[in-house]
Amino acid sequence: MVLIAVIMLYPFWVMIGTSLKSEAQFLSGGGFSWLSWKNLTATIPVGQEVLSSTIVCTASILIILAVGLPAGFAFAKLRFRASTVVFLVIVSAMMVPLQAILMPEFVNVTKLGLTGGYLGAIVVYAALGTPFSVFLFATYFRGVPDELIEAGIVDGLGYFGALWRLVVPIAIPAIATVTVLQFIQIWDDLLVGLLFIQNTSERPITVGLAVLAAGRTTSIPELMAGSLVSALPAMVVYLVFQRYLVKGLTMGIDR
Amino acid sequence: MSVVTINGTTPIHRRGRRLSLRRRRQVAGFLFALPAIALVVGFIGVPIGQAVYYSFTEWNGLTSTWIGASAWTQAFHNSNLWTALQNNALLLLAVPFALGLPLLIAMLLHQRVVGWRIFRSIYFLPTAISWVVLGLVAERFFAYHGTLNSLIHAVGLTHVSTNMLGYESTALSALGITFVFTMIGTNTMLFLTGLATLDPSLEEAARIDGAGRWRIFRSITLPHLSRFIQLAFVMTVIALFSALFSLIFVMTGGGPGYATTTMEFLIYQTGFDQGAFGTAALYGLILFVLTAIVGVVQLRLIGSEE
Amino acid sequence: MADIDFDGVTKVYGDGPPAVDRLSLHIDDGEFMVLVGPSGCGKTTALRMLAGLEEISSGTLRIGGAVVNNTLPKDRDVAMVFQNYALYPHMSVAQNMGFALKIRGESKREIARKVEDAARILRLTEYLERRPKALSGGQRQRVAMGRAIVRSPQAFLMDEPLSNLDAKLRVEMRSEIARIQRLLSVATVYVTHDQVEAMTMGDRVAVLRDGQLQQVATPQDIYDRPANEFVAGFMGSPPMNLVPCQLRPGRSRVEVVVADQSIELPLGYADTHSLPEAGADVVLGVRPEDVLIADATGANVLKVRVERVEALGSEALVHLAWGEGGASSSRDARSRSFIAKVGPRVTFAPGDVVSVQVSPEHIHFFDAGTGISLRAGGR
Repeated sequence: MVLIAVIMLYPFWVMIGTSLKSEAQFLSGGGFSWLSWKNLTATIPVGQEVLSSTIVCTASILIILAVGLPAGFAFAKLRFRASTVVFLVIVSAMMVPLQAILMPEFVNVTKLGLTGGYLGAIVVYAALGTPFSVFLFATYFRGVPDELIEAGIVDGLGYFGALWRLVVPIAIPAIATVTVLQFIQIWDDLLVGLLFIQNTSERPITVGLAVLAAGRTTSIPELMAGSLVSALPAMVVYLVFQRYLVKGLTMGIDR
Repeated sequence: MSVVTINGTTPIHRRGRRLSLRRRRQVAGFLFALPAIALVVGFIGVPIGQAVYYSFTEWNGLTSTWIGASAWTQAFHNSNLWTALQNNALLLLAVPFALGLPLLIAMLLHQRVVGWRIFRSIYFLPTAISWVVLGLVAERFFAYHGTLNSLIHAVGLTHVSTNMLGYESTALSALGITFVFTMIGTNTMLFLTGLATLDPSLEEAARIDGAGRWRIFRSITLPHLSRFIQLAFVMTVIALFSALFSLIFVMTGGGPGYATTTMEFLIYQTGFDQGAFGTAALYGLILFVLTAIVGVVQLRLIGSEE
Repeated sequence: MADIDFDGVTKVYGDGPPAVDRLSLHIDDGEFMVLVGPSGCGKTTALRMLAGLEEISSGTLRIGGAVVNNTLPKDRDVAMVFQNYALYPHMSVAQNMGFALKIRGESKREIARKVEDAARILRLTEYLERRPKALSGGQRQRVAMGRAIVRSPQAFLMDEPLSNLDAKLRVEMRSEIARIQRLLSVATVYVTHDQVEAMTMGDRVAVLRDGQLQQVATPQDIYDRPANEFVAGFMGSPPMNLVPCQLRPGRSRVEVVVADQSIELPLGYADTHSLPEAGADVVLGVRPEDVLIADATGANVLKVRVERVEALGSEALVHLAWGEGGASSSRDARSRSFIAKVGPRVTFAPGDVVSVQVSPEHIHFFDAGTGISLRAGGR
């Protein structure tokens, strides 16, 4: 078990170890230096990129929740004509990889004039995350007794009131699951950020790192320092909300 | 609106400005679902349709000219497509490892030795890291001055040095190994959840009946986990088809040559490096069909649950 | 406060038979009406239509004189207590109880005052800050009641509110709910499948079966003068004995033939009962407590064999049968056996042959075909 732990911790060891060397030390193999950390912001606009990542993540997740919660509620409790079929169509959209529709998607979003800044990426992330969130919320709400909603309705709520004042508060664990999963997914993603955010000044951190790495001219210790910075937020979120993550992964199988 | 008469009782005219209660519920339901429907149809459904159309055209993103079915025959004569498909197929060989190792690790964790919670957190931790970063680290690992060679030298083979990412024959294997590593966290998590739902009294009963460890694993643990293994299989295959982009982008850029170009990377290259949007859309459809096959398996998995 | 009026209300799901079939029922302001019947009889559907949770297929439903067929639940001003209580898990007891008032936009102070008043009536004062999860079943039930009463609604609707409680609490809450309803005197519709609740709680009881109203009357009336065989068999525990028999003409009396033995009825009996032609098949009904086991001989005594004795402490149930093979044999066992409810100290044992006597005024007759009571003047 210790051996496995060493293997799993290997990336962190590489990142920390390498980032604490100067470029020369890195090539020769030994030594210790804070240099790469000092130079980090000069090579990689870390602050700006982390901010961009945060903006894109937050906005996308807000849309995913705002769209997924009412839809999950509707499919679970307010069944309308053909709602089952529509639900299945939306759920199957979970299986569509972005690459499969990359070209038309890119052209459409460009034509809408959204590929300059954050907006294009936000919309695409939201669309890609919505099917899963609808599926998860609908599954969750099916477990909520009908009587609870009916009690609210008899108490004087309309459907929107029931959604906002009963369903959303009850769904907090499910909301946490969606948020955590989507946060890690979007924060760590490359493809969408790479293509749909054209302004270099609005690049998320993952894209910034990948582009520098692919260029193969950047000092590796600095790259590793940047990687560590980029990995931290997702790791913190992950460690704090681990149980929601597990729940989300096994949703639909573990009931 | 129709008037319902039952057994000659006074019919109720469902008239007036007020909608009936059921109707109102349905309207509310539809309105609630509408934004999600719009988003999914607009940004996933419509592009699928467009991809079908553009796959028959020569398209540079702005103008397209219809060339019909010959677009498809041409595409299938392109050796790059076959290379990419072959690479994808070869990478499938990594799937048993991406499932087997996590299964082993989960079984280990499930023994609940002292400190297993800490080990669990450590094992899962790389799951949170971007595959871009993991790709960077993997590149260091396989590099000429990287950890792999240090390890080889440490065991005494000082004259042997590899550079797996540098050669066409080995680059794909390196990518596969990295892929297995990146999947360990998620799949271990799945299997551990599965094991946690296993009733321990079953195992005890089997032990009392005289079953050995292997017997228990074969007859009780594995069948119980089958659902979780199926799910992990589907997720792993889908990741293999559609999530390697980050790794390839930072580790090899698809090279050397086309040695590590998979379908998804081919789509990116064809579209954005060569500007052949129509062909890229066509490749996208092929990828779509491949994942759809896996997706159907997945849907049946979920469906059988309900 | 208001009265409630079902006028030919019908509910049909899809192509199936009506779940509620032309229900006409008036509930007075302040009245406690119990809807009772076996599961699937339509009682809950009727209640849900009244709450506005279920569409009315045809007919008219009025609350306080106003037609509410298409009125939204929130505009009907009725409060409902659900079988599983349906407490809002993310709110405290006080918030649960005050929720409807908050939606209505009442001031915080007003809400607090009403919640405290209700809590006092329900003895919940010390639990106001707890979450539903931290309450016992009986307390949750009271919170559900509290949520209804703080609203001072036009009507209370209760859907089997006691069925999730254990037996002892159920008895306690039965009188508690009846007490509170009388205190507030709000029209109440109470759905249950438990005939004891129906007997003890309601001002009037409406018995339903297969979506159709069988009888509406005070509990005692339903017990004493059931409108048909179904009601007779449903209300009362153990249920009324129902025995097929034949009427035979006599010169001065009407003779009832029960398995080769006979009971004679006074001639005046025909005046109060619309008995059919002599020779017709009818069903005789008699409540277990009206079957007297006596040593008497002579008129109106039946010889029967004791099958089994169930001692219940305060009383005993004696299973009796006649004819060859006795009750245990086969399919027409029901028609060959009946139960007597007697005092606890019985001296006879299974196998004994005893005499039983039934006084004519306690006998009910039902049409063998339709099951309708043959008491003159119908219901």
